[in-house]
Amino acid sequence: MGNAIRYIALDKLTRVLGRLSEILDVWVPTASEEKKRLVRFMPYQAGMIPELVEQSTLGPKGALLPQVESLFRFIYEKDPDDASHKRVELEDPVAPKPTLIFGVRPCDARGFLLFDRVFSAGPHIDGLYGARRDLTLLATLVCLEEDAACFCSSVGGGPADRQGSDLWITPIGDGYVVEALNDRALHVMDLLEEPANELQTAAATKVQQEAAERRVGNLICDQSRSNFLQRFDDLNYWQQMAGQCLSCGICTFVCPTCYCFSITDELKGMRGERIRSWDSCMFYTYTLEASGHNPRPTRLERYRNRIGHKFSYIPEKYEGIIGCCGCGRCIRSCPVSIDIRKVVENLEEKAHACA
Amino acid sequence: MNTSILSELKKQAQQAWPELDLLIGWETGYDTLHTTPVFIKDSSEIQRLVWNPFCAQNLAGYLVKSPIVPRGEGSKKIGICVKGCDSRSVVALIQEKLVARDMLFIFGIPCRGVIDLRKLIPNQTGAKILSVRLTDDQVEVEHSKGLQHLAFADVLMRKCKRCRYPDPVIHDVLLGESVLPRIESHELYQDVAAIERLSLQERLAFWQTELDRCLRCYACRNACPLCVCQDRCIAETRDPKWLTQYMNLPEKFMFHFIHALHLAGRCTECGECERVCPMEIPVSLIKEELNKITKELLDFEAGLDLEGVPPLLTFSPAETGI
Repeated sequence: MGNAIRYIALDKLTRVLGRLSEILDVWVPTASEEKKRLVRFMPYQAGMIPELVEQSTLGPKGALLPQVESLFRFIYEKDPDDASHKRVELEDPVAPKPTLIFGVRPCDARGFLLFDRVFSAGPHIDGLYGARRDLTLLATLVCLEEDAACFCSSVGGGPADRQGSDLWITPIGDGYVVEALNDRALHVMDLLEEPANELQTAAATKVQQEAAERRVGNLICDQSRSNFLQRFDDLNYWQQMAGQCLSCGICTFVCPTCYCFSITDELKGMRGERIRSWDSCMFYTYTLEASGHNPRPTRLERYRNRIGHKFSYIPEKYEGIIGCCGCGRCIRSCPVSIDIRKVVENLEEKAHACA
Repeated sequence: MNTSILSELKKQAQQAWPELDLLIGWETGYDTLHTTPVFIKDSSEIQRLVWNPFCAQNLAGYLVKSPIVPRGEGSKKIGICVKGCDSRSVVALIQEKLVARDMLFIFGIPCRGVIDLRKLIPNQTGAKILSVRLTDDQVEVEHSKGLQHLAFADVLMRKCKRCRYPDPVIHDVLLGESVLPRIESHELYQDVAAIERLSLQERLAFWQTELDRCLRCYACRNACPLCVCQDRCIAETRDPKWLTQYMNLPEKFMFHFIHALHLAGRCTECGECERVCPMEIPVSLIKEELNKITKELLDFEAGLDLEGVPPLLTFSPAETGI
């Protein structure tokens, strides 16, 4: 019965999450504070109310790429026989646990697809990410409604895009129909309440079909790779498109596909830890070199890099995939409402003019 | 009313254009609820300007922080559109000699308040805004779950509800009629007074809960018109190293203390730090507390008087206030 389609009534959801969290670390989107619109993914705890209607303010990437994670700890010890020498001992970080991220959207899952390509598809494999990813299941919601900032269909995804997901959740009004999309997900299916009946399955199929028919966003970016390169030196363009950028890190922190990190040693006395933490290409220190030289001295070069990375360098490096999942979070959260779609769309004008 | 202010703004901008190198204002963003700053370099672009209660951004910071706004060089002026609160930031920048008054052409707009978009639809309903209609004191929101009528005063930013200076305190032209403050001066610090009434434990718990959400994205700092250290901010430098890269509470507290203390007596309460926070942390409260203390102790309010010297920018051995 493991692979049957299951049904979770709305009022049974927290019971299901409770059962799942007995065997896995479960992450859910939740509005943790009253009177706030903020929704973010948090480790599930009893009493927590999942928020599956609103898109989360922050993407779920923290579950797989924590904002701060330990690479290893180290302890210096004075050599008792030789005062001029110090010995160093290393300790491994805590091993990852089996995890289920419940209630991501197809755009969020697409973010992880890019992470996989960068961190775990080789030739260089990030052991920490890879180990965590192998143990993680994505339970993805069919996305029922977009807003003015969404554009997932423009970058290869869509409201019913199953790619990258392990479990497929379809809201049908009074509950959720859940199916396993691969063998990895089978072992949790039995924990998901009752098998779905024919009516529920039919309702889910209808919801899925309607979602699949929606095309969200009308950006065309198949030429963005070359268009960007032609715009690269056009400082006037970047002034027009990103002159208002504040150089804060919001867009990169809420983004499901931004994965850049910093590595620092944080030392206290003789003990310390080497940690990896989210970095942002919007920050001055991101490319600051030890000499004091900075190849991206102003926010314009930094903003240009964000566009270039997502719409030119990543497609160049990884078989044409776009480094953006179209979730719209950077647009929604930007303090000065910079619209990444407009920036990418307008790259093209000069290309046409030249041709 | 907004429409007539806008047409007057465009007319005045056109008239002033021979004096200007650049004009900083607002234009429509990705939808009608969002405005975005615009840098006008040619008089033919003046028609891009908008004015409405969604013009949230304080543009004053661009005078000192933008790579595309010329500073000092050139014979022409920089034009800038300001609301009442924004105008105080401009005054503070002039006081600190970061911009020269005679290099600015200030288009002042008396402001009835800007709308907090988070207050337009109920939380966690999945409702998506389809359209918004504004009348003088009503906001009609059409969203995917229905129609909602709200009082204009209820959907304003917190900073607007406690605004004492809706009229720009400095301007070369003033557009529209004077607006009365929404509160009396003795009511100015009610929000921080409410925090002060909490016990020390409650206060600590409040700030622990709020600041624990901080991502250290530095949007509050970068949106602040008076946070002018920019790339030299000690929150990020590794040498000297005041903060680690850890995301624990002490680091977050420390960052916000750094931000707030450097703004003591300088903060003009434009509320940008609080507006831009993606985690909805009421960070302005920290600066308001420091301003309250500055007012009580030294009788100084930031950004009001061109001749005024912010207390932390002066030193007098004969100081009597402390």
